[in-house]
Amino acid sequence: MRKTLSDLLVQAAANDPCFLLLTGDHGYALFDCLRAEKPDRFVNCGVAEQNMVGVAAGLAKAEMRPVVYGLAAFIPIRVLEQIKIDLCLAQLPVVMLGDGAGFVYSSLGSSHQCFEDIAALRALPHITIMSPSDRHELVQCFEAVRASQGPSYIRLCKADLGDVHADGEAVRTGDWIFPVIAKRQRTICLATGSMVRIAQRAIERRALPVDLHSIARLKPLDPAAILDICRNRDRIVVAEEHSIFGGLGSIVSEAIAGKITADLRFLGIRDKFSGECGTYQHLLHFHGLDEDSVLEALAENV
Amino acid sequence: MAFAGSTVHIGCAFSIVEILAVLYRDHLSYPENRADHPLRDYLVLSKGHGVMAQYACLREKGWIERAELENYFGNGTRLRGLAEADIPGIEVTAGSLGHGLSVGVGLALAAKRKDGPQMCYAIVGDGEANEGTIWEALMFAAQFGLDNLIVIFDKNDFQAMGPTADIINPFDLAGKLRAFHFETMVVDGHDETELGTAIALLKSAKNGLPKAIIAQTVKGKGVSFMEGKNIWHYTRLTHETYAAATQEVTAPLK
Repeated sequence: MRKTLSDLLVQAAANDPCFLLLTGDHGYALFDCLRAEKPDRFVNCGVAEQNMVGVAAGLAKAEMRPVVYGLAAFIPIRVLEQIKIDLCLAQLPVVMLGDGAGFVYSSLGSSHQCFEDIAALRALPHITIMSPSDRHELVQCFEAVRASQGPSYIRLCKADLGDVHADGEAVRTGDWIFPVIAKRQRTICLATGSMVRIAQRAIERRALPVDLHSIARLKPLDPAAILDICRNRDRIVVAEEHSIFGGLGSIVSEAIAGKITADLRFLGIRDKFSGECGTYQHLLHFHGLDEDSVLEALAENV
Repeated sequence: MAFAGSTVHIGCAFSIVEILAVLYRDHLSYPENRADHPLRDYLVLSKGHGVMAQYACLREKGWIERAELENYFGNGTRLRGLAEADIPGIEVTAGSLGHGLSVGVGLALAAKRKDGPQMCYAIVGDGEANEGTIWEALMFAAQFGLDNLIVIFDKNDFQAMGPTADIINPFDLAGKLRAFHFETMVVDGHDETELGTAIALLKSAKNGLPKAIIAQTVKGKGVSFMEGKNIWHYTRLTHETYAAATQEVTAPLK
């Protein structure tokens, strides 16, 4: 996924004279190709994320098309007010890349982990929120937000979990839902980002009779699209490497409330910080989001 | 306007009247008198609380109507109590302090990358300079050699709850700005000649250094009972104080 992102940035720099990549002194190796090929399009704004977002707003007002890179813990969380006032209220075409969302920086501790970004951003008018599950979805998400006229955020989770979709098979609906397993089975798992791949592995391991859809665009998202894929199910399991408050679980709940009666389960971070150090897999297990935990939740009574 | 809307923030508008007058009259270029012209100069009122003074200028430019000033703060109207960027001529929504300068820095960077002729002027309050983002933006401007940026500090020595010296003392603001690699001048912010000379001089110096002007001003300038009285950050006009203030600001200069 990181190679794909690097390629996308190099292509954008080559094709668009208005493209600029802004970073808050993060992402060292990720930008090697961009810096080698288009060094004048790389702007290191220093360890000053708030100013960086304001600068991006100014650039966009003057018809540049900046892409702002940061760790999700900082972009968007540290700069939420700049996003609200400088980007969303002004409706400026700035793309934000929030890297390492969830527990990617597991061993560095809670300052670098982020499972509140979707909740924080969803309440802001005009923003588009993308959460691709693999490199194929990432390409489509990146191209879409680069073409959009308003602010957007791409949430980047663990990048090396492998592809969800085979080459050429990442086909989305108009609402940016990518079906992974779509057999109208009684149980459906709606997942986003890293949890799509993790759920896919769990389902394949036991050949569970469970449908799986990747929700790649979290905002805007037509509730009718969620309602449609949730009809005629006994159980709906939502999986996200994000708090159970305000993320995909909330989106699904809002969409189906009062309209569908099903056994609705939420797999996500249950209102706690990562209490201990460890690998990414260790923290997935700590929060009940590793493959075994997901398998258990999906297999129950199936 | 302030009387019609029964609004606050009169003092912080009066301290920047001459700064705005000099900029709009002699320096800001708006081709075709268009507030959104791509080749315009940029004026960023980072201390958005002084916006009433800017509304008066935007009326002079013909971008807002006189009736809008007379109906200030009416339901369904568009002129808010703090600068908001959907008004022609207002570049940045700046009610939350410490935002505007960063956006102005981005505008200056874009103009510089395009080798455009544009200048960016940003008016920052000395109270606003409590915000860390102001200093982030200053560091960035110096690093990127934004010599088309002139930051004008409205040093009226007050912030919302009292004198800056008693709250967050700026101490040697000029010395700080010079240490941040800004070409810096200190002027009387109510002397239009001094202001105009400083702006012209700094504008012509294409030397890779961003520019700063410290405009020493008086909060509430022009009305004897408001000058230096910080209570006018929050006080509303009555019929009596409105009449007295109007008499003072419209009296012929002695």
